[in-house]
Amino acid sequence: MLLEAALAVTRLSTGSRELDEILEGGIPENSINIIMGAPGSGKTTLAEEFIFCNATDELRPVLYLTTLSEPLDKVIRYLQEFQFFDAAKMGTKVRYEAFGSVLAANGIGALFPKLKDTIKTLSPKIIVIDSFKAIHDLARSPQEMRLMLHEVAGLLAAYNTTVLLVGEYRHEDIATYPEFAVADGIIELARNSLGTRDERYLRVFKLRGSSYRQGFHAFDITERGLQVYPRLVSPAQAGSYKRSEDRVPSGVPGLDAMLDGGFCTGSATLLAGPTGSGKTTMAIQFILEGLRLGEPCLLVNFQENPTQLAYQLNQIAGTLNGDGRRRLELQYYSAVELSIDRIVVNIFQTLRRNGIRRVVIDALGDLATAASDPTRMHGYLYALVQHFAVLGVSSMLTLETDPPVMASDETQGRLSHMTDNIVFLELWMRDRIVGRTLRIAKARSIAHDLQRREMKIGDRGLRIVKARK
Amino acid sequence: MAFAPEAKGKAIILVVDRDSHIRELESHFLDQAGYSVGFAEDGDGALQQAHKILPDIIITEILVPALDGLMLCRRLKSDPRTRDIAVVVFSILSAAGRAREAGADAFLLKPLAEHALIDTVRQLLEARGARNRRAQHVA
Repeated sequence: MLLEAALAVTRLSTGSRELDEILEGGIPENSINIIMGAPGSGKTTLAEEFIFCNATDELRPVLYLTTLSEPLDKVIRYLQEFQFFDAAKMGTKVRYEAFGSVLAANGIGALFPKLKDTIKTLSPKIIVIDSFKAIHDLARSPQEMRLMLHEVAGLLAAYNTTVLLVGEYRHEDIATYPEFAVADGIIELARNSLGTRDERYLRVFKLRGSSYRQGFHAFDITERGLQVYPRLVSPAQAGSYKRSEDRVPSGVPGLDAMLDGGFCTGSATLLAGPTGSGKTTMAIQFILEGLRLGEPCLLVNFQENPTQLAYQLNQIAGTLNGDGRRRLELQYYSAVELSIDRIVVNIFQTLRRNGIRRVVIDALGDLATAASDPTRMHGYLYALVQHFAVLGVSSMLTLETDPPVMASDETQGRLSHMTDNIVFLELWMRDRIVGRTLRIAKARSIAHDLQRREMKIGDRGLRIVKARK
Repeated sequence: MAFAPEAKGKAIILVVDRDSHIRELESHFLDQAGYSVGFAEDGDGALQQAHKILPDIIITEILVPALDGLMLCRRLKSDPRTRDIAVVVFSILSAAGRAREAGADAFLLKPLAEHALIDTVRQLLEARGARNRRAQHVA
């Protein structure tokens, strides 16, 4: 009996591991998908990366039909710039064909017999039609287009092939163009100008019979193809992970006594204060203490490059020994040049790759500069802090409060909910004398010292002068 | 649908499907593989043809008008005149278990993958050939 058959949806990789992650494994096999976006948004690159990744069988090649947008020669010329391009597959496993002139001469009715003939003679594993939207311009009426699409969709659904319809569609087209009703999947690519830089985003609108990661995901186009940065979401087990009772020494003499032994492992600490109050110094001490204990640490900074940072670290620590240097990952980002998506995803990937135990992000205000909107910033931070907690990574996030970069009451309130501990570093002036104090405003699950304590900065960093006994 | 005279000597396959695209594609690939193919668009028509021409294999969708594919399979398997016809249930429904209960010899899930279809047909014909040889030997 030949009765074994399963409904399990098999997936085809897009060629991008990160995009596959967003699509919960890739594009479902035997589906009809629309790749939409403005000219230059990366649609053709996505389609080409997909076909070269999946073109593995000469008996089941991929067919790439161009219609009336870019000339075929131009498409192929630029295709060769990408690393995924494989000349050996051209004409055998990947077949490009210009169909625009046939459509122009015979009308849109020529598409159905072309596809039927292709299926019968080529057994294509994948069919790409680029641009499908351009076919609308040749239709004599919407009815003609709808009837043609009905036939084409019926044919493509009957056969074991995966289809990409690429087009310069706009949002309003979704409600009016019939191909959106028959599509099993819709992926939109967009490009937004933000100050001096452009941000590229993709999002999945629809993926029939499958879950997917919703929202906007940043991406770049590089020589490797699409470099996608999946939107960081809170970990699935955030509500149920076991919180550690262990303590993490702060590296600041006197502070651990105020914290009844130190911060809780895996907790997030917001370190807030004005310029010159000692935030970066204290954050560095937190990192150095981790290194001293043999913990891999990550220091993310937006203002000083790794050379400047290493100098600062050496000033406080003396010269870092080889082991310490190896365990320390310094990351410098220009918040003006990079989007928050790329920064946060890089941080998260480093965390997992290097088994990081302590993280410092210095400073949140700079990270906010990299965010196109505050909601996005808070969403990312919340997810990141949740991941820190689940992974047992202790973090310290600095925030400049004077000038108040993120100082709306609402913003401060949201940040305080997000972190387990809040430490204020303050400057005071009396009779031309300036001093520094430290106050713990919040320390979740810790019987902490509520008193404002005086502190000093010396060669080896900050120390609490009047510590609790 | 009547079978062409050149069908003599070729295995005969009856395709039962309401979808014209499926019928056409199945016909094309089976024809290329060397089989003679006939069609029916509903279960009643398929049953009548089965009695008339006694095909080697019937490939049927479950969702066909008049008499559904599973009922068609039961009727074929319960009638001594047609019970030796191999039945392949080829459906958009994931119903391998229901097909087995109805007495089907094979189940394939849509969409059409011609290699899987032809492989299944070949295996069923080989099994049928072996059964016939055994029967002749016993006789």
